[in-house]
Amino acid sequence: MENTAQRRWTTRVGDWFEERFNVRRPLEAFLKKPVPKHAIRWYFCLGGLTFTLFIIQGITGILLSLYYKPTPEDAYDSILFIMNNVRFGWLIRGIHSWSATLMIAMCLAHMLRVYITGAYKRPRELNWVAGVVLLLLTLAFGFTGYLLPWDQKALWGSTVGSEILGVVPLVGEALLGLLRGGPDITGLTMTRFYGIHMLVLPVLTFIFLGAHFIIIRRQGISGPL
Amino acid sequence: MSEPTEEGRERTLDRPVTRRGLLKYVLLGFSAAATAAGTLTPVVAYLWPPRREGSQSGERVAIASTGDLPVGTGQVFSVNNKPVLVVHAEEGFKALSAVCTHLGCIVAWNEQRSVIACPCHEAFFNLNGAVISGPPPEPLPAYRVQVEGDQVYVEGAES
Repeated sequence: MENTAQRRWTTRVGDWFEERFNVRRPLEAFLKKPVPKHAIRWYFCLGGLTFTLFIIQGITGILLSLYYKPTPEDAYDSILFIMNNVRFGWLIRGIHSWSATLMIAMCLAHMLRVYITGAYKRPRELNWVAGVVLLLLTLAFGFTGYLLPWDQKALWGSTVGSEILGVVPLVGEALLGLLRGGPDITGLTMTRFYGIHMLVLPVLTFIFLGAHFIIIRRQGISGPL
Repeated sequence: MSEPTEEGRERTLDRPVTRRGLLKYVLLGFSAAATAAGTLTPVVAYLWPPRREGSQSGERVAIASTGDLPVGTGQVFSVNNKPVLVVHAEEGFKALSAVCTHLGCIVAWNEQRSVIACPCHEAFFNLNGAVISGPPPEPLPAYRVQVEGDQVYVEGAES
């Protein structure tokens, strides 16, 4: 058919996949859900902004991991190397650091919007819970990432921050040891925080983000005030 | 979502590109290309092998010609990303770390009094790096200096 040649190449690629997998209808139902009129407001974008910042953190974090060395001897020097010798290293590290702060700010702003519009109420209680878990994960990202430059600010920030865990009744001391990998902040704490920051938290965050998004698609956005 | 009919799609393709349409595609295309270039350039440059191995390598660095540093003067230079104070004394060139061992301020050569002075807490060092007065707990570490022809070289950045 001469028709085939005239159709857009994107349509033809889409048809090729459709012929094999037959997912166009469910995908469109999921992706092309119209946004209700009352939700077309800037303050309904805060959650999406948080997610965008998370993606930026993922990309810049992977880039930083290519030069960063997670040992007490090399960490600070590797960061100087990123800042002074790697092209645009200052930019990538700066974006990672600023986006981290902004991500927490956007998280809180998003929660404030959800709270004010009453979007946490029945039947959306569990999505609020998933959101609170995501906030805690974001804070954990910030806390573990703070130690990694291994400068004075990092060391004492982590010392004071983790000491809070030590005042838990009865098991405080054990929890503190578990978090630090010993009684003090050492190289063991650093590799621990590095592993949590790079592997544990991203996996958990993706799981809870997935749940967060699937639930909101399933239940729809809450109604107008 | 209603799929456009086969005829409808064909008609769209047959229609010549309008002035508005062309402008739209050019502007959109330019925006997309500029955004992609602006994002990808730093990332590719970041991944590109860095120029120098950096502070770990203590390689020899040419810092100045002897004419730039007359006898009795001193200046701070960047050697492998570390600040190094080079002084042209009567007996020859001296190079010391310019980071004060007290709280890390950058020291300077005081020409009038012929001492190394830290501006932060009134600390003074002599040309061997030893503390004359003030709070620093340790002397300034020394660097090796070499003069070849009229070029001054400083070697190494220990640790």
